[in-house]
Amino acid sequence: MSTNVETVSVKEYFRSIWQGVSSTAKGMWITFRYVWGNKPVTIEYPEVREVLPERARMRLFNDVDNCISCNMCAITCPVDCIYISSEKRAADQEVPKTDDGTPMRQVLTQYTIDTALCCYCGLCTTVCPTECLTHSNDYEFAQYTLGDMKYDYLSDDVRAWKQRIVGKEPVYRR
Amino acid sequence: MLSMDLEKLSSDINAKVSSANAKVVKPEEDGAGDSSILIEASSIKEVAQALLDSGVNVLQVISGVDYPDYLEVNYMFAKFDLANPGQFTLKLRVPDKANPSVESITSLYPAANWQERECYDMIGVTFNNHPDHRRILCPDDWEGFPLRKDYKVQDYYRGMVVNPDEKMNWADREFAKRQEEISKAQQEKSQD
Amino acid sequence: MQTWENSGEKFNPTQTAETEKLKSELLTLNMGPQHPATHGVLRVEIKTDSEVVAHAIPHIGYLHRCMEKHSENLDYRGIIPFVDRMDYLAAMNQEHTYVMAVESMLGTEVPRRAEYIRVLILELQRIASHLMAFGTYALDLGAFSPFLYAFDEREKILRLFEELSGARLLYNYIWIGGVWNDITSAQLYRVKEFCDHFEEELKKYDTLVSQNKIFRERTRHVGIMDEQMCYAYGATGPVLRGAGVKWDLRKVAPYSLYGELDFDVPVGDGDRDAMIGDCYSRYIVRMKEMTESVKIIRQILDGIESGPVIGKVPKVIKLPKGEVYMRTECPRGELGIHLVSDGGKTPYRLKVKSPCFTHTSMLPEIAPGQLIADFVASIGSIDIVLGEVDR
Repeated sequence: MSTNVETVSVKEYFRSIWQGVSSTAKGMWITFRYVWGNKPVTIEYPEVREVLPERARMRLFNDVDNCISCNMCAITCPVDCIYISSEKRAADQEVPKTDDGTPMRQVLTQYTIDTALCCYCGLCTTVCPTECLTHSNDYEFAQYTLGDMKYDYLSDDVRAWKQRIVGKEPVYRR
Repeated sequence: MLSMDLEKLSSDINAKVSSANAKVVKPEEDGAGDSSILIEASSIKEVAQALLDSGVNVLQVISGVDYPDYLEVNYMFAKFDLANPGQFTLKLRVPDKANPSVESITSLYPAANWQERECYDMIGVTFNNHPDHRRILCPDDWEGFPLRKDYKVQDYYRGMVVNPDEKMNWADREFAKRQEEISKAQQEKSQD
Repeated sequence: MQTWENSGEKFNPTQTAETEKLKSELLTLNMGPQHPATHGVLRVEIKTDSEVVAHAIPHIGYLHRCMEKHSENLDYRGIIPFVDRMDYLAAMNQEHTYVMAVESMLGTEVPRRAEYIRVLILELQRIASHLMAFGTYALDLGAFSPFLYAFDEREKILRLFEELSGARLLYNYIWIGGVWNDITSAQLYRVKEFCDHFEEELKKYDTLVSQNKIFRERTRHVGIMDEQMCYAYGATGPVLRGAGVKWDLRKVAPYSLYGELDFDVPVGDGDRDAMIGDCYSRYIVRMKEMTESVKIIRQILDGIESGPVIGKVPKVIKLPKGEVYMRTECPRGELGIHLVSDGGKTPYRLKVKSPCFTHTSMLPEIAPGQLIADFVASIGSIDIVLGEVDR
């Protein structure tokens, strides 16, 4: 509908009706052709699950056995959702090493990520020197309370994810 | 990118508007970035008129900056002219931080209407003779100017407590507090 | 060819003595903030005279997150995720503008391959954003199926972005000094396949929507923003090009690799009974721009060079003292970043010039005299994203 007053002759009036019908019919034909030859693009979610790309940034997972408590992730996090604390290892104790050979001079006492705050930007995983902090491909982690979204990676149940999500061999990605 | 001869432009402004006192501000020795033109705050309307007459047809944005001693208002002007495009920044400084006011240029550049409102909302510069001088992003009765460096969130809004205790996620706050204490203690320990 | 001047008298609803008698108070109607046609949380206070809009006052700020204040407390790398969240439909372009502002202050050299990947990504993002604009615009005007077709295509681009960066909307992919990950040749091949497929698809959209008489009647001669109004309000992007001005920052002041690439700047030329600067012109500029983007992508695919994807950047970024105003051509118009640094790890001030903010400020100018349904068409044609308006 135009806001300008236009005078239309009878011929033009019927012509535009014809144009409206014919151009719509053309469009309808395009839509009708979708009946065959087109694969469905949706999936039936709970039964069929999408395979995410390898780099997909989903729930964070920290493999605490490889963490050297360097605090880099907590410093770089733009929303401050990583809570990390560590103690100095006693002098007489043997210093264990991570998988890539970096000595773990600190004892990790807490490593908690508030997933409710996390913005999945991926900055923490890129600064991690031992690549123990990674984004897993697990995207189903709804919880009933906000408190449940805080994952203490030193606790046993969260450690068990390593088997469930990451598999036996953790996949390190940048 | 699209830089213009600022020396010539500032002398042009000075020739047309005697009170403008325009001069070119260059980045410091160890600094980087764009140069700009600084003018007297009181002469903005005359300068804008002179610029409009000389073919600077677009005002892109008004950006206020809060410095310790003064408020700075940056006007980004551009020449949308395919043969001779250009862009430059016009600055003015308002030393009176308690009650800053600048003449509005909405009558010359309609784009200034919302930009000035946003500048008022965020930095607190009042624009005289603005046709619709209200806040734009914050509610009309909000107190304070969020992008000032000394901004504090108000305690009450329409008689309601801002961020009341009973609506806070205390478990979260206590967790964060405890974490802060732990990390502080550890820092002290490591310093010893 | 019709222009604003010779289009006849502006429609005035209360012209005759009879309608003058029936005239009563204006009715205030709040459109939004939860309204499907306002593309987010825009509230427009409309004073209506029967079905005709007498005044329209946009109220914005419902999505105000003050990212400018946030970014004053974040380091330069940490701001990129926040910049993403401004215009969530064209996050790559937003990142690129911010990153270019930081790079120009740092004086970083970006490797050639990174520039190629950037331009490829930016143009794909432009297509994705325009597809969204096309789909929702057709939806605003009552056509449902183009929306689904547009989303089908957009999904392919998002899938590629997900494989590249790991996220579908908020990528954090373009980094200071380059890009995060390298693109593989398999992915480049898929982009090529997408281009071939998409050109066919564009023809389909043209028959389905652009040539449709009903759609054309709904949009032509509606919401006219002519050249002078665009200059006065500082409009850019498809709005300015729809008004017949061949102004594209990629051509006027080429940044990144755009100087080396060959492409056209489509403008609204008033064909198909449209008028320069009306909704149909703005719409058709977007559709033609997608063709141009495909052209750019093909050149990138032919010319892409091997090499590193990220340049030398200090570990802790500290910008020198000074300020910069950087603008680039985003799908919705020119995005400007005014970055003030005091030499520290965080910016002293970051001001974003949002194209949608500028375009929303033009709504009160074009609304009077429009029917409400036409006003919906006008809002849709400027393609606003409220995340960017309110920041």
